[in-house]
Amino acid sequence: MNTASRDIDMLVEVSDLINRELKYLDQRRWDDWLSLYSDDAVFWAPSWSNEDTLIRDPKTSLNMVFLEGKGRLEDRVFRIETEDSYASMPLDRTVHVVGNITVDETNNKSIHASANAIVHSYGRHGAQTTGSLYEYVLSDLEGRLTIKQKKIILIDDAVAGPIDIYHF
Amino acid sequence: MDGMRYEKNFTALVDDRVAEGVFRVDRSVYTDQEVFNAEMAQIFEGGWIYLCHESQIPDEGSYYATDIGLSPVVVIRQKDGALKTFINACSHRAAILTPRKQGKARVLTCRFHGWAYSCEGRCIRIKQEKEAFGDEEFDRSSYDLKVVPRTESYRGFVFGSLEENVPPLREALAAAAGWIDLMVEQSPDGLEVVPGSSTYTIHGNWKMQIENSVDGHHVSTVHRVFANTMRNREERDGLTGMARTEGGRITGKVPSGAYDLGNGHMAIWAQHTTPERRPVYKKKDWLEANFSSGKVDWILNRGRNLAVFPNVALMDNPSTQIRRVRPISPDRTEVTVYCIAHVGEDDEARAARLRKFEDFYLTAGMATSDDMAALEDTYLGSHARAARWNDFTRGLHSMVEGADQVATLGDFEPVTSSESWENETLYFGFYRRWRELMSVE
Repeated sequence: MNTASRDIDMLVEVSDLINRELKYLDQRRWDDWLSLYSDDAVFWAPSWSNEDTLIRDPKTSLNMVFLEGKGRLEDRVFRIETEDSYASMPLDRTVHVVGNITVDETNNKSIHASANAIVHSYGRHGAQTTGSLYEYVLSDLEGRLTIKQKKIILIDDAVAGPIDIYHF
Repeated sequence: MDGMRYEKNFTALVDDRVAEGVFRVDRSVYTDQEVFNAEMAQIFEGGWIYLCHESQIPDEGSYYATDIGLSPVVVIRQKDGALKTFINACSHRAAILTPRKQGKARVLTCRFHGWAYSCEGRCIRIKQEKEAFGDEEFDRSSYDLKVVPRTESYRGFVFGSLEENVPPLREALAAAAGWIDLMVEQSPDGLEVVPGSSTYTIHGNWKMQIENSVDGHHVSTVHRVFANTMRNREERDGLTGMARTEGGRITGKVPSGAYDLGNGHMAIWAQHTTPERRPVYKKKDWLEANFSSGKVDWILNRGRNLAVFPNVALMDNPSTQIRRVRPISPDRTEVTVYCIAHVGEDDEARAARLRKFEDFYLTAGMATSDDMAALEDTYLGSHARAARWNDFTRGLHSMVEGADQVATLGDFEPVTSSESWENETLYFGFYRRWRELMSVE
């Protein structure tokens, strides 16, 4: 196989993973969504330190979301599934539209990919549309592509109402 | 402020007949546009408003753009270290003078027509001044920036007042000053706002956010799911030490209390069952060497929420928060939250403080989000005119005038004390202050 067709295969595989991830969120298939993440996955949405700079170090700064390890994602699903969370019962409806998917860097350990998303949500107070830039680090786990890190740059500074992992 | 007071009297909206066992507030205080307009003029432009923390404006020329009610203002650190606040609008055609929310500038130059102002607010340059105003020496001072008459800091927390005739900040803070002391004195090197913040808007009235900040009664219902989620996490992951959360207080079965601190300020506390999980616990030895055992007990063992009238809440729980409330309209409130932390604390304590903050306090967290949803529901429900009143008499029978026994250990003198954070008599103070400011003189 030549380099170009390998690159295309890679892009197809990465795109499929990202598309499925967002579909699972919109369809509330939480277990399927979780299955795409590795055990040591990091799910990170930094906050803005000023109008055009994001906070640098997630460990020593305030983030919008900073979840280290798949367990922290499971916490979110656990909370939603209890139906005891005021903000999550009823759940907002969402649609993620993703595009601009590129494979930016590959090495023998991981694949760095990025994508843009528009997330439209609807709840009791009406609709909200937000924009996100995604940066993924993916790795091959026993022949299956898995999310090791998802960094979400939320374009919107002020968000209306409560949000959760499925709004990003 | 001349001519800005409302003719209409809103005092009937607070039905204060405590001797008869009645204290209730008309729900139109949350929904009515006229009430809101009067609040902006008489409450927000009539007294001390929290602006920012001094760590956000560290050097000469550091500025922080914020607001007093609907007025944009900017706080600027002066050459001598003092703080000045100005209306953040060019004297010429009102363009906002600060390109960013936070920054540093020796001169503020308007980006519209190029007029320039010094940090002291003096108009120092008018584009084509000679052509505009003639050749003789022109007095630019009539174009100096409009100064917000009062700016004062209490232990790092900066407040401003558009009304000149207000008591000094320390006096206006009443017993809330003692609660700020408990937050400030626990760190040998002071406090700082950590990089990053989160801003969100709520479909609800600003007073609901302030009320919620010192509402202990909702905790065991709204945050039960947070406690359960944390318990599930800790069992699953086998966490220890500061990585564990402080869930004991959420059950509602710990000692607690609520205070009317005077001038509309309010506070609640609840006993920590596992204070060693709080970052401040690392300072235990230092605190015991420097403060009375009563004060150390207040700092280490009591989670505290303070609402400073009218627009900021300071939380000192497993994490530490400044929550600033900005009214936009009766039905919209913008909230910005900051993590405030000990200067120089070690990485483990800092990380624990931040991760606890993110777990609980944010709009994307697992507790504040639930508060917001509940608050938004109370806003929707408040429109029903056939059911007009919010009753605040819960706990009236056990309310005591002045300090209870616990308060006396903490160096503050409340107006009234209540034996449980589930009680709601602390709101008497808030709404009495509200009514006083909203009344026609």
